[in-house]
Amino acid sequence: MEQQAVNGIFSGSIYALFAVGYTLVFGVLDILNLAHQAVFMVGGVVALELMLGWHLAFWLALLAGTAAAGLLGVVLERLAFRPLRRRPGTEFSALISSLAIATMFEAIVLQVYGPNLQRFPAGAFPASVYQLGDARVSLLQVVIVAVSAALTLALYLLLQHSRLGSAIRAVAENRLAARVLGIDVDRVILVTVVVSSALGGTAGVLYALVFNGADPAVGHAVELKGLAVIILGGMGSIPGAVLGGYLLGLTEVATVAGLGSPFRDAAAFLVLFVILMVRPRGLLGRKAVRSA
Amino acid sequence: MVATASRRFRASLLTAIAVLAASCGGGRASTGATGGAGGQSAQQKSVSIGVVYSITGAAAPYGATQKNGVSLAADEINASNAIPGVRLNLILEDDASDKAQGISVYQKFISQDKVAAIIGPTLTNTAVAADPVAQAAKVPVLATSNTGTGITSIGDYIFRDSLAEADVVPQTVKAAINSLHFTRAAVLYANDDAFSKDGYDAFKKALDDNKIQIVDTETFSTNDKDFSAQLTKARDAKPDVVVVEALLNPVVGLTVQARQLGITLPIVGGNGFNSPVFIQQAGKAGEGVIVGAAWNSAEPNPKSQTFIAAYKAKYNTDPDQFAAQAYAGVYVLAQAMRNASSVERPAIRGNLAKIQNLDTVLGTFSFTAGRDANHPAVVQVVKDGKFQILP
Amino acid sequence: MTDALAAFYQSYSSTINLLGINALLALSIYLTLACGVFTLANAAFLGVGAYTAALLTMRLQWPFALVILAGGMTAALLSLPLALPLLRLRGIFLAIATIGFGEALRVFFLNWSYAGGALGLVGVPPLTEWWHVYLILAILAYVLWRMRHSSTGYALEAMREDESSAQTMGINTTRYKLLAFMSGALVAGIAGGLQAHLFLIVDPRDYGYQRVVDILAYAVVGGLGSFAGPVLGAGLISLLPDLLRNLRGLGISPGAVRQFVSGLVLLVVILYLPGGLVTLLERPVSALRYRRQLQPPDSSI
Repeated sequence: MEQQAVNGIFSGSIYALFAVGYTLVFGVLDILNLAHQAVFMVGGVVALELMLGWHLAFWLALLAGTAAAGLLGVVLERLAFRPLRRRPGTEFSALISSLAIATMFEAIVLQVYGPNLQRFPAGAFPASVYQLGDARVSLLQVVIVAVSAALTLALYLLLQHSRLGSAIRAVAENRLAARVLGIDVDRVILVTVVVSSALGGTAGVLYALVFNGADPAVGHAVELKGLAVIILGGMGSIPGAVLGGYLLGLTEVATVAGLGSPFRDAAAFLVLFVILMVRPRGLLGRKAVRSA
Repeated sequence: MVATASRRFRASLLTAIAVLAASCGGGRASTGATGGAGGQSAQQKSVSIGVVYSITGAAAPYGATQKNGVSLAADEINASNAIPGVRLNLILEDDASDKAQGISVYQKFISQDKVAAIIGPTLTNTAVAADPVAQAAKVPVLATSNTGTGITSIGDYIFRDSLAEADVVPQTVKAAINSLHFTRAAVLYANDDAFSKDGYDAFKKALDDNKIQIVDTETFSTNDKDFSAQLTKARDAKPDVVVVEALLNPVVGLTVQARQLGITLPIVGGNGFNSPVFIQQAGKAGEGVIVGAAWNSAEPNPKSQTFIAAYKAKYNTDPDQFAAQAYAGVYVLAQAMRNASSVERPAIRGNLAKIQNLDTVLGTFSFTAGRDANHPAVVQVVKDGKFQILP
Repeated sequence: MTDALAAFYQSYSSTINLLGINALLALSIYLTLACGVFTLANAAFLGVGAYTAALLTMRLQWPFALVILAGGMTAALLSLPLALPLLRLRGIFLAIATIGFGEALRVFFLNWSYAGGALGLVGVPPLTEWWHVYLILAILAYVLWRMRHSSTGYALEAMREDESSAQTMGINTTRYKLLAFMSGALVAGIAGGLQAHLFLIVDPRDYGYQRVVDILAYAVVGGLGSFAGPVLGAGLISLLPDLLRNLRGLGISPGAVRQFVSGLVLLVVILYLPGGLVTLLERPVSALRYRRQLQPPDSSI
């Protein structure tokens, strides 16, 4: 039972880190960024390549993967989001353009690396294991939970207690008013997307490391779970994403233990559905969800 | 590695085209072929064989080695003039692990390329959709990796040299029981893949037949990376052995995670484990895993050892079962053509059906009455980083 | 002449048929997008139609026309309880809910042992002919064409432009949305039945998120201004694998190129041609008409 709790908390922390970036962009830009899973994937692939081919140490590869994802965030914002701001588009143009960019990123990785799962070299990370009551936890898992929590906290502090954070929140609240107040809206949006993508990339590196592999399709499984998480937590809410992430992780594990493993994936979608029916705002969300 | 393979393929494609173009000139000797030596007389005719594998898409890892296997075999056959007066010309296409493209490629082979026979496709699902097209057009198909049900029953032009899990698994289970003497088993399998599901059914039946108690059954998705919940639940059911049936990627992850969770029980697996890549990626966690397979590098058959050496020399990597089955497939087809002294489709079909006790890298090979593969399977254990025959 | 046609069909029948089915699917999503309902459940309804039709053919031996209809009706009926609560949601949330529904259904199919579970249904009788697909496509196109200038058509267009204004003007938006949702499901279900009897296998993995993204691409790339757009988009994207097959000699992996090109086309269209590719066709035609109007009847000067 304790092992299952550990399992749930651990996968929850990965979901949470992924969801945080996802929900940030939605909160500020009102866009469901379907390229988030692509930068997640690229983060893992880049880190893997650096560790395998260039024999870089883990921490450096983590930073590099994060940076690469952040860079892709710039590309994403400039190519897919900015041009649409100048024109009246539908609510979904940005969603579709992010989807298009995601497809292209994946295709490039597919061309360069092929479709196979690449694995980290054995011994890339110390394999120490700790005993926690009845459960076994690896050092890597502990590090991941810690990094995930630290980054999320850092983001939260940034948003609440820094000037950049206030600017971001102002833009999220009312873009026009923010512009009138003298905030460089374009720059703030760029920073938001970059931060979100960088977080996604970090999540990707950690995911690739702990599950020992990165392939071009790795983003898709997480993407749909991530969707369930941000809906559960409430779109646009960082604490909501964290809460949602852990809840989903634990729910999935409980489903396997209680109902049986065929239902594990269905748990995420059932949660998604029930929330949208019963409380579409999510647990901690504040955005308008119903049409007039 | 993919890029190199593509370049090599491009070279062989261009060469094949050159050969084809030259032989169309009517009786002129061809030049620049890969197997340049060995008696190219003016009467040599070029026979097109359509080869369709999943070079991209979900099954791409298997398609890559299959492609290598057929190319090696065709080169050897052409170089040694094994089919008198005939040069094999492989036309390789990618079905992208997609049924619609598989059908499209078959139609191209049949109507445009006018192939004598088709080898492939990689996935059972693609075959089920595309083989009826070949059957209707009366073009022989030799599958080298389809292990699911409902393939050869499509019609009398459909053959396969890939031993089904249903034939391998009972041998695996018996050998494992003899070696480990277990009575309680936990079974984990991928429930979203036809191969894994078929294999699971075979394991369940074999375990039941041997009166082994299945204490827990867990499922996961082929693309899953996190198996800890299922493994923990299985462990809690207190089995003596863990049986796993899934494709390569999930079984590596599962094996490694199982060891990480402190599960030291022996693991018995199906064909998904049967690859040198498993050993390479699972590392120490893979020690002691018992795997039943249609073919493995531990196979003592001398033809097999020669094949392994030739494959390694050409492609710089070890062959896996898919490569071996693909390689054997071309040889089986060649033998049928030789016996028929003809490259006409009905003649090839008729002679394929008659193949019995042929010496191949897979062992002594015969087709059953239902055109399925019949040859002894190999049960092996991972020891000291290599596959060895289970004693 | 007929020999050449027959030979052409023999080589390309699967592409021709697939094109028709993708066009139907594109239209199924067009029906909903045209009135501003962003639903992504069509791949799931495709699956519902496929399973229903295939099971009826194989287990109960119903006639072909009936099973196709049954497939469509089952999908439409299933969409009803789904639509009622979801249509209250704002655009993006509706989209997400339908994605969730689609995935849940996919997991259900995967575990439904009566229908083969992961193996799906194998050995479906090959009953679909190209004219079945194109007949239904033609009927649907005709209906949509007539609808454009009917009150329903105007209502839908008004809703797409500005939903709250449309409501204020007395248009019962909920009823139209529901109608659109169910029609979309109906068409997708029919397409599913047709596809099942074409590919002869119903594989649960074919009806997931990836498929719905493809269908969305057909509609967006083609254009949502008229029903011709999604059909055009479906045609173009469906033909890409065959067109790109010839590039293989260049050492480029065809799968990656096809994916990249699809993404690039989608991006270019959404950024610079938001009306879709079909606007490229409409412009020269209307421009020509306009110029002809400008010219005086006898231009002897």
